[in-house]
Amino acid sequence: MFRPLALLGLCCLATDPVAVGFGKLAGFDYAEGMTLPGDVTALDEQVVEVRGFLRREVPGSGPLNSFLLVNDACGCTGTPKMNEIVFCTLPDGVTTDEKPGVVTVTGKLYVGEVKEDGVVLMLYQMDADSVK
Amino acid sequence: MNPVRLLFVLAVALPVAAFWPRGQDPAGADWQKDVDNACRAQRYGMRLAAGRKVAAAGDAAVPAIRAFAKQHGDEQIPMTLVELIAEDRAAGPLTLALLRDWSERREFYWRGSAMRGLALRGPRVGADEQAELRTRFQRFHQDDAWLMRTHARLGSVLLGERSVLGLPEQDPRARTRLHAQLLLQGVVPPLQPLLDALADERTCLGIPWGQNSANEAHKALKQWLGEAHPLAKGGEFADTAAGIAALHEACAAKSGQTLTIPSVRRDEVSGLVGGLEFQSCKHGDLFVQWTDAGALWFGIDAGTSVQIPAARWQELSRERAALPLGGNLGVVICDSMRVKWTGPDVDVRVAPSALPVPVVDWLKRLAAAIEEAGAPRLAADLLEGLDQFAVR
Repeated sequence: MFRPLALLGLCCLATDPVAVGFGKLAGFDYAEGMTLPGDVTALDEQVVEVRGFLRREVPGSGPLNSFLLVNDACGCTGTPKMNEIVFCTLPDGVTTDEKPGVVTVTGKLYVGEVKEDGVVLMLYQMDADSVK
Repeated sequence: MNPVRLLFVLAVALPVAAFWPRGQDPAGADWQKDVDNACRAQRYGMRLAAGRKVAAAGDAAVPAIRAFAKQHGDEQIPMTLVELIAEDRAAGPLTLALLRDWSERREFYWRGSAMRGLALRGPRVGADEQAELRTRFQRFHQDDAWLMRTHARLGSVLLGERSVLGLPEQDPRARTRLHAQLLLQGVVPPLQPLLDALADERTCLGIPWGQNSANEAHKALKQWLGEAHPLAKGGEFADTAAGIAALHEACAAKSGQTLTIPSVRRDEVSGLVGGLEFQSCKHGDLFVQWTDAGALWFGIDAGTSVQIPAARWQELSRERAALPLGGNLGVVICDSMRVKWTGPDVDVRVAPSALPVPVVDWLKRLAAAIEEAGAPRLAADLLEGLDQFAVR
């Protein structure tokens, strides 16, 4: 379903977990070091569910323990920006197959820049509990 | 400078320059290492950061990119790097030549992104370069791959050829992309296609492509409207219709264009139970969906249909149910095929040259049935798409 409500910055009804769309996560122009919008930082450490497309961080095959969740089916229509990616990690020993369609990932979301050697590695990371 | 001192400096500097390693510029940057990181670092953020650095270097990094491609193959160049180079807009001769080479190579997955790089540079290059680019863009206006033809048309419009906006376009994603990209470049196109995209909720095989187009359209409109955006100062719309109406009003006021408020578009065909999706940056996309009754719908928007006779469809359905399919097939880098149906439940992603022979044979029989049903062009399209994915 197209979600112009999320697209236009509207809020969904509060549920547990909180349904979060890329309309909110990616609805601002991200620049490194910026102060993130309040409605995004409010999601920090919340249990959320996000719908999107599962992608590998590096090309390969086989089951995945960690993956990227993005809002682009093809992967051919542009480079996702940092606020257009949720870096998901399943519990140790748990994997998922690479799924071709839309998936819903549920888990605890962490919001904020994670850096290594001065490089922002991720903005949104999730301890994912399930992939459906 | 004292001539003697100058000679001394030259005597020292020239041998040093002669032994300067390839891929390293006089400022000391090791482009080979940065290109390698941009292409092969394990973390996406690292690839992005290195890619930005390489893109910003312009011509200085191009020899290292070519050396990497020669050593590891073009397929190891990630889209991230090509996109970043496209957007950086450094327009030195080596960068332009690289983008030209990539955009011409049908086997290069990211040729559409390279074409965008040329399109964005068009207004900034000299007259001779512009003349060459005009011809080049025109040559790709009808390319099978929607990103390729869209970015070629973008290049033409950015060079002042607005008549290109009137070229026929069957793929609704392409219409949105072209108009959104123009707006992002400060060229105001007819805005109706972007408003229409905002109201698009259509899907194909469960993929909400209409919503993706809506997001793309909204991002472009939001940037262009700036303070004139209805939500520029926060707040919320009452509902979807109110949001679209408010954007319509803001767009009409700022552009002076006569615009209509679009109705929400949802999937018009019901009862779709399966289908195929070929996504090919090389050869173009193809979408086919079908009903239990043998009605086949082609196009991401299910815009064209053909009816397979009942007896033939039942036979094909029996054969399809017995096909050995499961898991994902091959390693997908860009181009992929998706096979999705029920009875039994199948949802498989397939890399080029990885589709098993029994499935290939079944699809050939499906194409024959489509041809017999009076749609030879659609049958030929299916066979052409299939060719890239059949196991070799």
